[in-house]
Amino acid sequence: MNCHEITERFDDYLDGRLDTAEEEELQAHVTGCSSCAEEMASVRELRNLAAALPSSLEPSRDLWSGIEAGISETNVVRGRFGRNAFLAAAAAVVIVSSVVTAYFVGRSQAVVATVEPPAIVESGPSEVLLASFEGLGVDNYMATRTELLDALEARKHELSAETMDVVMENLLLIDYAMDSIAKALGDEPENEFLMKQLAGAYRRQIDLLQRAVRMPAEV
Amino acid sequence: MGVETTATFPIPKPAPPRAAMRVADSRENLVDRAADGDVAAFEELYRENIGRVYLLCLRMSGDPSLAEELAQEAFIRAWQKLGSFRGDSAFSTWLHRVTVNVVLGDRRSTARREARVKPVGDDLPVDLSAHEPSPGQALDLERSIAALPEGARRIFVLHDIEGYRHKEIARLTGLAEGTSKAQLHRARKLLRKALAS
Repeated sequence: MNCHEITERFDDYLDGRLDTAEEEELQAHVTGCSSCAEEMASVRELRNLAAALPSSLEPSRDLWSGIEAGISETNVVRGRFGRNAFLAAAAAVVIVSSVVTAYFVGRSQAVVATVEPPAIVESGPSEVLLASFEGLGVDNYMATRTELLDALEARKHELSAETMDVVMENLLLIDYAMDSIAKALGDEPENEFLMKQLAGAYRRQIDLLQRAVRMPAEV
Repeated sequence: MGVETTATFPIPKPAPPRAAMRVADSRENLVDRAADGDVAAFEELYRENIGRVYLLCLRMSGDPSLAEELAQEAFIRAWQKLGSFRGDSAFSTWLHRVTVNVVLGDRRSTARREARVKPVGDDLPVDLSAHEPSPGQALDLERSIAALPEGARRIFVLHDIEGYRHKEIARLTGLAEGTSKAQLHRARKLLRKALAS
């Protein structure tokens, strides 16, 4: 493992989540690398400080009256389709499509992306609907994305600052789109249109990363 | 020579103290009653949990008045969704998750933050006598967290204070795991710099 890979595993190490071999490799690296040793000590100190912060604080005023008023005029809305959430999600997808298309002219090749199910915490979409997405799997999206991000990180010094800015801005835009769509799905977990939009956003993100990784060196 | 004992059969756990059982029963009862529309029961749940919910909102939003609104919204959302609470986790854990969703779904934070002039760290608790770090250290950290860029702050609070893992954060935020890691790295770097100055 190189220094980047080692520092990526500090949290797992400090939480005791590495297996014995990984733990030994990390310890050996840190013992011989003053930079990583310093980084780990610093992470450990900050984590300890953060973990010891208080977990409770009363607000300056009693909020109950506002809550009581709020709940008296609301009913259970589970399953309701939020029109605003839907519009926000749709708009976000349009923005992402436009921006990404405007920057990278022409498609290089078909994207071999896979998709992870949308992140709905309290109620999820049916796997049947997810599986029905055209040509998309459900297992490897995160791995693909992590791999591409690592590849981009590895060659970021070959790309101009302007290109990196555009790529990062668009990644954030797509993240925002996914966030909006996922929240709309929170209101309507079985909405097939939204699920397809989310799948599309995941695909665009992989597409963007692949294009960035394949760009000729600029610097 | 010491005697090695290896348990080859399940060891029954000691029964929880009666008082603890009563508290658990009582809380379950409160949740059931609230789910049936009992506002008084829900108010008790509010009183039990408002401190943690508010502090989470405050740290994640970086704005005291917005945190109050978000905390109210979190309880209203919890009321609306009580029917979906299945009791798989503690009510406080479920409410915590609802609160995180409310804060992450809020789009007011950035605009409010830009208009804000009061350092939010001044509103955070300083009576930390029960904790290892000195009050000064903790207050410095709270202030530095409040001064972080929104994305980095939210990930730091969720990961290093609330104990979420990157995978969970990715699911909650819709961000990729790699983005969560990058934001945490950025937050820690900025915090170290702020605390060292």
